[in-house]
Amino acid sequence: MNSLQKISILLILALVWISSGCEKDDICDPATATTPQVVIDFYDITNPTLKKNVTNLLVVGEGMDTGLAFNAVSTIKIPLKLTADLTQFQFILNYGNTVTPALVNSDVFQFNYTRNNFYVSRACGYKTLFTLDETNPYALSELDPAGTSWIKNIIVNQYQINNENETHFKVFF
Amino acid sequence: MRRTLRYFFSLGLIGIVLGTASAQETKKDSVAPKTYRYGLRLGVDLYKVGQSFRDKNYKGIEFTGDYRLTKNYYLAGEIGNENTTENDYLINYTAKGTYLKVGFDYNFYENWLDMENIISVGMRYSASSFSQTLNSYKIYSTNHYFDESPVYSPGTTTNGLSAQWLEVVVGMKAKVIQNFYLGFSFRMNKLFSNKSPDNFENLYIPGFNRTYGGSFGAGFNYTLSYLVPIYKKKELIPIKK
Repeated sequence: MNSLQKISILLILALVWISSGCEKDDICDPATATTPQVVIDFYDITNPTLKKNVTNLLVVGEGMDTGLAFNAVSTIKIPLKLTADLTQFQFILNYGNTVTPALVNSDVFQFNYTRNNFYVSRACGYKTLFTLDETNPYALSELDPAGTSWIKNIIVNQYQINNENETHFKVFF
Repeated sequence: MRRTLRYFFSLGLIGIVLGTASAQETKKDSVAPKTYRYGLRLGVDLYKVGQSFRDKNYKGIEFTGDYRLTKNYYLAGEIGNENTTENDYLINYTAKGTYLKVGFDYNFYENWLDMENIISVGMRYSASSFSQTLNSYKIYSTNHYFDESPVYSPGTTTNGLSAQWLEVVVGMKAKVIQNFYLGFSFRMNKLFSNKSPDNFENLYIPGFNRTYGGSFGAGFNYTLSYLVPIYKKKELIPIKK
């Protein structure tokens, strides 16, 4: 093999190496921590150390036609608005229960926070992290003035919403 | 895709020039005293000039120079300036600045008769001084329930950024007409110092090109250069019997 052939091979290898490099950083790896959702754990009000599954919980954002449905889980993740410092949801328990419509109960759960944007990478751009308001991190109200809230108590577990690996709110019902 | 095409174009070019060079090699004939010309070769990167006309978001120029020290060693360097606006889907930014590369080339191509072609390997120490402007960015979110994709346009410029890196250069220069050379070089870059802006990253470093998360990068140039001859040296080749 003469030196010309050697050098051609070297160049081709280098080009292959470079083009494989291009592919990799064009798509945001799903494992990368980007904008987090708020993580809520549900607990039993009668036995506050025990987690309790929700039944047909529909979470509907303010002004939205569709909702996020959860059933038979004790942990949910929901997104916060990236364009406002508060996000209001209706938490509808037993949604769609036609057998006993009286069980259907809607509470209004509002999150109050501030937003900051942080650089992630070329492929993932920036992420927004949230800091819950110190004095009023949330507001809870009953949709039907005559009814009672199904949510009995809320504890803020983590004011900094930086990732989805920790619980931000504990909800007792 | 545009970049991939660019690489294939370069690859084709290497093939053509190397092919021509090997064809000439077969003419080996007699032995005679060889005359080597020593001088200063000055050139310009045609690719950057062309790109400046083609791409309205890019302005760049690079001047190259080498000075022959011995039969095979050349003192070599490049100086350039780039101003580029890159749109990376989520981030739009502008990098502009000046760079300097200094090092050597070792020519391992044995020329015939009075040919003066070069196939070389070399190294460069490179430094760049630049600014980066974050024109706009999008927020990345995996949940699209609210169907929001806010775009922020801070337009903040960070001045006084700098980077240093080493380049391994593989290149060639072919004499086209008297004193004029066409050349191509391919470079692998290893960054060893990089000062980034707060809450952002140097995604493009003038002279280094795009950064790829890690510290490796690559570049090339396509040069037209002119040799200013300064003196000549003769080498007597012993005749084998």
